[in-house]
Amino acid sequence: MNILLVLIPVTALVVIVGVALFFWAVNHQQFDDLDTPGILPLLDDPAPDATPAAAEDTTRKP
Amino acid sequence: MNVHAVWAHPLLLAQVLRPRRDGRSEVALRVDALAEPRRALALEQAIRGLPGIERVAILPAARRLRVVWDARRLSLETLVERCAALHCPAQPLPHDDADDVRAAELHDALKRLLVAGMCMMQVMAYALVIYLGAVDFVDFTTRSLFRWLGFLTTVPVVAYSARPFFTGAAQELRERRLGIHLPVALAVALVFLASAFNTLRGAGEIYFDSVSMFVFLLLAARYVELRARHHGHAQGDAAIDAAPLLAQRMAADGTRETVPALALRAGDRVHVAEGATVPADGVLEADSARLDEALLTGESRPILRRRGERLVAGSVLLDGPLLLRVEHGGEATAVARIGALAARARAARSFAMASDRDIARFVARVLLLTALTALGWLLVDPARAFDAALAVLVVACPCAFALSAPAAFTRALSALARQGVLVTDSGALSRLAQVDTALFDKTGTLGVPRLELAGIEPLRGDSREEVLALATALARESSHPLARALADAAGRLAPPRRAERVEAVAGAGLRGAVAGRALRLGRADFALGHALIPERQRDALLLADAEGAIAVFRLVERPRHDAQATLDALRTDGITPCVASGDAPERVAALANTLGIADWRARQSPDDKLARLRELRAQGHVVLAVGDGSNDAPVLAGADVSAALASGTGLAQAQADLLLMDDRLDGLARARAVATEVQRIVAQGRRWSLVYNLCAVPFAAFGYVPPWLAGIGMSLSSLAVVLNALRAGRDGNGPRPELRA
Repeated sequence: MNILLVLIPVTALVVIVGVALFFWAVNHQQFDDLDTPGILPLLDDPAPDATPAAAEDTTRKP
Repeated sequence: MNVHAVWAHPLLLAQVLRPRRDGRSEVALRVDALAEPRRALALEQAIRGLPGIERVAILPAARRLRVVWDARRLSLETLVERCAALHCPAQPLPHDDADDVRAAELHDALKRLLVAGMCMMQVMAYALVIYLGAVDFVDFTTRSLFRWLGFLTTVPVVAYSARPFFTGAAQELRERRLGIHLPVALAVALVFLASAFNTLRGAGEIYFDSVSMFVFLLLAARYVELRARHHGHAQGDAAIDAAPLLAQRMAADGTRETVPALALRAGDRVHVAEGATVPADGVLEADSARLDEALLTGESRPILRRRGERLVAGSVLLDGPLLLRVEHGGEATAVARIGALAARARAARSFAMASDRDIARFVARVLLLTALTALGWLLVDPARAFDAALAVLVVACPCAFALSAPAAFTRALSALARQGVLVTDSGALSRLAQVDTALFDKTGTLGVPRLELAGIEPLRGDSREEVLALATALARESSHPLARALADAAGRLAPPRRAERVEAVAGAGLRGAVAGRALRLGRADFALGHALIPERQRDALLLADAEGAIAVFRLVERPRHDAQATLDALRTDGITPCVASGDAPERVAALANTLGIADWRARQSPDDKLARLRELRAQGHVVLAVGDGSNDAPVLAGADVSAALASGTGLAQAQADLLLMDDRLDGLARARAVATEVQRIVAQGRRWSLVYNLCAVPFAAFGYVPPWLAGIGMSLSSLAVVLNALRAGRDGNGPRPELRA
């Protein structure tokens, strides 16, 4: 059962690292918008840069 | 001229830019186009490509965009200009701290929840070892080691995660009232201290796993509720943000220029559009105007101001447009007041959940039960009193109960949002379940007016296009549904012209001048200025000048395509629909008959509508008001539950609890069904907790429930209740079937 003396600190360390990572993520607003990123990959038909360029062209012509 | 140049004004910059410690600036922009994910993403990517941009965050529900950037490399003016070039006009918002406070609150709650969750898993692992050890897996010293480990791991849960409960309890003690925090804090502290005591003396049961789970589940419920609440706030903000930082100043030559409201000087003349907020204190220069000063005085009745009377900054124009001569200018007070008003309007959207009160009562009862158990055992066998009371306390804690209401509400809100109903006040959902009468506006809500080319009758030999262009010049200045129908028709048929000095007369029509020619558009008696009207022009829209009628416009009003279905659904649900309209009796009767509404009133001013609403409420009805225009705002504000079409005026939206998107009414029936369902599910959760406690508590009181069984019971009952709550808003027909047709 001596292995416990190694494993318990290891699990404690894992928890501390996990909490630290989560705190970093929360502080960097990673959980603020959970809806938009989900739609991101579904919207690839027009290249995002093409739309503004095209829009600008039409406004400049007249 | 560059209209965005105004954003270079230092006064305005001071209002909207928030300097950050790292030298960069932050600004919040209101962008209506954010509702469409595709355009939002295109905009985000385009902004990211600009020089000096550090961070772009989109808040779709609030229609807001937050940009952090280096203002030395890119001016706000360029940023706003760039947005406009992408057809996503952006309006910088005054920086206020409400957003930061909310974000901080949410982050704090999430951190506490995460710590509780991580520690809970750890404690459960240790507890499992102990439970297995009970069937002789690990020797005795190891067992005591695991009890100490459990104790140490629970300390962060109680000391950090559960701190809101303790501070809340302290506050409740100071205010001498029983809320949710006091009983919860007491339960957590009792179970933890008792288990710590048992750890210390090395005998008796420990409940570290149960206490961490209790804290974790309660925090989870609160976090979910908080998120839903902020989402609702954000949607409310989107409607309130419309308050102006900008004003339309009339230059000497009659053209309008856009300036910051702060830069207005005494003597400036300002144009205020219908539904907009008055940007500064000043004197009315139109004959009369109706204003909503509800935000200033709390009086929801529209107030009539005549020429020469003073208007107060922050009041909202109900029928406009008007001209205002500024009295006090260049001070921050008026604009600051508008900001404060917006903040107050936000705060007024209360989200007090009834569930909190119920939980407090429940926990108080549990504590009483614990005390009774302890008392009973003290009389019979004092040695067992401590353990038995502890077991009762753990078993009876109402996790399941606490979880069910927030889970059901959150689920219902997101389900409704997917169906095109935005709920800005979640309290409205529980009130909606009690509604028995629905008061509808007619034009723009139940019916959609439309002008066909054949409906235009020029009376003096002009062409149809010509008279339509004249009428549209006036109609463009108003957001009344009839005026909008004209403008729509003109968009298809004729090029518009410019009108000057346009004034709206509530319930009558519009007057103004086109190319120096005075024109009136509206009800026949108003347009002609006398009551001698040929029979066939009586219910039509008339355009007239000083010499008499120019043209007649006959608008056809059709019921909105889903009006009949919605009314039928509401009727089968026990809601009586009625109509209050400002329109002529014949037309209201026609539409009411088509839709089968027996109770209708015509020629109702906003005051009459409000009186009608009060009358209904005095009879004991719970009333849902549905409208779209600014003249419905008082009724919407006064009703138990209010719904506005999202195509309506900003003022109507700001007052509404429910926003119906995509010009559809059927969301109402859906919202009602979901509201009823949520009520049922919350009641089920309550019943389930009661039954569970009735079954388990007697066993716990007699010492037959070991800690592991208490833990399993708690998690299984919570799981059952949450799964049940997730059924809210699910419907067999799939999302909005008609849309696919």
